[in-house]
Amino acid sequence: MQFGPIWRALMRNKTGAILIALQVAVTMAIMVNAISIIQTRAEAMARPSGIDEPNIFYISSIGFNDAFNERVAVEEDLAALRAMPGVVDALQTNSVPLSGGGWSMGLQTEPGDDMDGVGVAVYFVDDHALDTYDLELVAGEFFSPTDIEWREGSSSTWPDRTVITVAMAEALFGEDEWRSGVGKTVYINNNEPMTVTGIIDRMQAAWNGWDGVERTMLVPQRTLFGSSRYIIRAEPGLRDELMPQVEEMLAQSNKDRIVRGLRTMEETRERSYRGDASMIKLLMFTIGLLLLITALGIVGLASFSVSRRTKQIGTRRALGATRADIAGYFMSENLLISGMGVLLGAALTVGLNMWMVDAFDLDRMEVWLVPAAMGVLLVVGQLAVFGPARRASSVPPAVATRTV
Amino acid sequence: MFNYYLKLGWLSLRANPLLSLLMVAAIGVGIGACMTILTVNYTMSGNPIPHKSDQLYHVQLDSWDANDPGEDGYNPPDQVTYNDAMALMNGAPGFRQVASNRSGLVLEPEGDDERPFSVDVRNTWADFFPMFDTPFLYGSGWDDTADTTREPVVVLSRELNERVFGGEDSVGRTVRMNGLNFRVVGVLDEWMVVPKFYDVTNGPFNETEEAFIPFNLAVDQELPRNGNTNCWKPPEGDGFEAFKNSECVWIQFWAELRDEQEKAAFSNWLDAYVAEQKELGRFPRPLNNRVLAVMEWMEDRQVVEDDAQVMLGLSFLFLVVCLLNTIGLLLAKFMRKTGDISVRRALGARRSDLFRQHMVEAGLIGLGGGVLGIALTWLGLRGIEVLFGEFVENLVGLDWVMMLTAVGLAIVSALVAGLYPTWRATRIMPASQLKAQ
Amino acid sequence: MLSMQNISMVYRTDTVETHALRQFNLDVGEGEFVAITGPSGSGKTTFLNIAGLLEKFTSGRYELDGKDVSSLSDAATSRVRNEKIGFVFQGFNLIPDLNVFDNVDVPLRYRGFNGAERKQRIERVLDMVGLASRQKHLPAQLSGGQQQRVAIARALAGEPRFLLADEPTGNLDSQMAMSIMELIQEINRGGTTIIMVTHDPTLANLAGRNVHIRDGRVSDSDADTQLAEVAVG
Repeated sequence: MQFGPIWRALMRNKTGAILIALQVAVTMAIMVNAISIIQTRAEAMARPSGIDEPNIFYISSIGFNDAFNERVAVEEDLAALRAMPGVVDALQTNSVPLSGGGWSMGLQTEPGDDMDGVGVAVYFVDDHALDTYDLELVAGEFFSPTDIEWREGSSSTWPDRTVITVAMAEALFGEDEWRSGVGKTVYINNNEPMTVTGIIDRMQAAWNGWDGVERTMLVPQRTLFGSSRYIIRAEPGLRDELMPQVEEMLAQSNKDRIVRGLRTMEETRERSYRGDASMIKLLMFTIGLLLLITALGIVGLASFSVSRRTKQIGTRRALGATRADIAGYFMSENLLISGMGVLLGAALTVGLNMWMVDAFDLDRMEVWLVPAAMGVLLVVGQLAVFGPARRASSVPPAVATRTV
Repeated sequence: MFNYYLKLGWLSLRANPLLSLLMVAAIGVGIGACMTILTVNYTMSGNPIPHKSDQLYHVQLDSWDANDPGEDGYNPPDQVTYNDAMALMNGAPGFRQVASNRSGLVLEPEGDDERPFSVDVRNTWADFFPMFDTPFLYGSGWDDTADTTREPVVVLSRELNERVFGGEDSVGRTVRMNGLNFRVVGVLDEWMVVPKFYDVTNGPFNETEEAFIPFNLAVDQELPRNGNTNCWKPPEGDGFEAFKNSECVWIQFWAELRDEQEKAAFSNWLDAYVAEQKELGRFPRPLNNRVLAVMEWMEDRQVVEDDAQVMLGLSFLFLVVCLLNTIGLLLAKFMRKTGDISVRRALGARRSDLFRQHMVEAGLIGLGGGVLGIALTWLGLRGIEVLFGEFVENLVGLDWVMMLTAVGLAIVSALVAGLYPTWRATRIMPASQLKAQ
Repeated sequence: MLSMQNISMVYRTDTVETHALRQFNLDVGEGEFVAITGPSGSGKTTFLNIAGLLEKFTSGRYELDGKDVSSLSDAATSRVRNEKIGFVFQGFNLIPDLNVFDNVDVPLRYRGFNGAERKQRIERVLDMVGLASRQKHLPAQLSGGQQQRVAIARALAGEPRFLLADEPTGNLDSQMAMSIMELIQEINRGGTTIIMVTHDPTLANLAGRNVHIRDGRVSDSDADTQLAEVAVG
């Protein structure tokens, strides 16, 4: 098929072609940028929390009157929980990864009010943490039972040791030097020393949107904050069975507190990323709808163009053009128009992306998305024009001799 | 003539139902997409208390660390310390002023079978209720003597009153929370502020609290705090007393200032207060107090989420695609009417007559698109609700402003889309013969 | 009534110049019935378009009803067409979406008459062409002759001084054609000036005067002889 004559014919009737090309261009700009956002979100969602999510659930216990002796309650609860059949291990803590609510502090390698600290999420845990969360200790040692202290709600001081994640060690000691962190002293509250006794591979903070989401420190303390959270790890497959049992056991064992917020880690992840997951679905839906509308636009204008040129098509047929020639003409015409569209679209896409990166701190799109989207839109254009082109090819040559 | 054009437009649309439907659908889908996202944005950026938003001011004092920028960089923190809050409550010259913070208590219902449950609580002052114009179903807020006497009084939300007292007038009755007996002085009617401007820190789209109790009482009793707390240096010593005297910020401070004079007086007082504190060695950073009216504060906090804005931008581009589509279809439609148009010209229609006729036709399509758009917006909002769940519950209502906007936007869009095709239609020459092709 | 002096019409494209009318002169008096004849391509249609103010001409002077209409604005020519000229087309040119009543209504709308006046006029002209009972019919539901009667009614509804007819019977069988011609003659007897373009000498003979166009000029040599030639040829 020769593009020359098609191009010249197009130039004599530009408006429809321009409209389609513009539609293709804007569609492409939206599509690529939406996909770029989807990619970023999907990557964020794919980051592991570092803990055994499928088998972990948690529940809160809140004392509400003077009769409640928190220290006794926590010790009894932990003993009871750890003794339950089906429970791998359990511990008391202040916050749950990805749950949105937690405690953060700053650590620095030199003491002093004027030194910069590195933000870190704080989890108070006991010596059962490795087992309960299924964490991997990659350097140093973990807490022993004798390390564990009690922490009052209004306490402002810190124990002398901590275990941090690799990400936190990298932030403090340098990317390649993180192993050297074991045994080093870091300072909390500017001046208070703590020794890093061990490093775990990974554990996420409570806030998935925080850029330091993998910077975490474990502190060997049980808390007396009035409200506790118990993390329970079940044996594979027993989680759902255990959850109501745990709730009932805690509710019955002590009437001076309420238990609430029984929730699985899986649900926590789902809630944490709900905004992102929804955004992904919304954007995918938008892309689909947009492609449909653009395709319909192509069908509409191509049909109009076919019906306007019925006589011309008949004449061509009378002059010896085959059905394939006619269909090919319209397919090629669309290829030209969509081709212009995707070229313009590439420019628009880059422009829109630059603006969005600037205005909303989004990640820059990956370059390969542009040619990929060009290909997709060209294919969509060909599919859309196929129907009208086939109708054009079935115009009988006799139309040529018909008047009006 | 307008009615005549309406009739012609209607006839023309009816003559070609499929094409008309396609155009109505294209505009409707575009409007639906835009309005769905616009509604969410509009609610997020809505004025939660329009009748007095320019008299209510959020107060910030820059008590932060001179060395480390806080979460807000070198801006003042979004909350204030206990000492500053109390100094302001006691001395600042605002017409009304309220320090409040978020809390959570456990309520023990009467009767042995009922299990205790937790409730969202706001610790606040008597002025909270008149200042934010809270609607009362029964009773009223507490008298300001209760603020000083630390009397255990409580104002319940309508829902909590339903749950505890079955919706009866519970004024004078008692609820037990965290071991304390609180006397009910008032029950709020349905009260919802979106965004929840008076405590953006703890979630701008959270529900309003279920119970309100005196701030001083909560502090005295050391009742648990539930909201965000930020410290740039640790309290000096252990215990609640040390925490109260620390540089930790955890209290939202609002003032009602009725005119510029009151505002100026208030700001001057703040500056003087900070200067005095600097003498005592606090407030290491340069003087940087802020007194922002409700909408300035919402702007400052950027309560409209980036996601919502990105989607808004994309949805308008989406509308552009729909309009390009409509332009193409309208052009095809009007060009098919070449014969009609040239006859009308021959019979004496001016270009302006034809212009109006075809713009009215485009407007009619827009009207159809707008109505369809409202339906699709409703559907879209339900979709958003399903997707995002409880996080957006308060954001997906469709009010008449948005419906009118939808129809208006649809008609304007259709007219814009109609401009070029209509212009082309008016360029058709009058003719004595209808030429085939 | 109508006076054309030295009218020329040149169509230009990039490569070709076509002279459709050359130094064309014609005067038509009040109340006349003039038939314009000529072979295909002689300039008849161009003449009709210019006479009806449908097209601008290249040079010359055109007076209608004593007023120079050579250089009126588009809106002003529309006004003149609407008030002074009635058109009857070969292809009827009814608007297919509008019923008979609404078709006749079209020029009256642009004239700005009120509803009562329009209704009265429409009913009068439809009665005159014998279609009073078909007001609600769509063009497609009428025969060719009836359609042309509607078109004539539409042309007359505004009481123009001047009726332009382009092969008014061209698409009709001979019996219907005669009845349409009778109607046109009757209108002329009522005082309306009529110019009819036709290639049919029998019809042309029904007019008061014949003007023959050839190569874009009025061919002044005995029009009757010319017609006879055409008839024989």
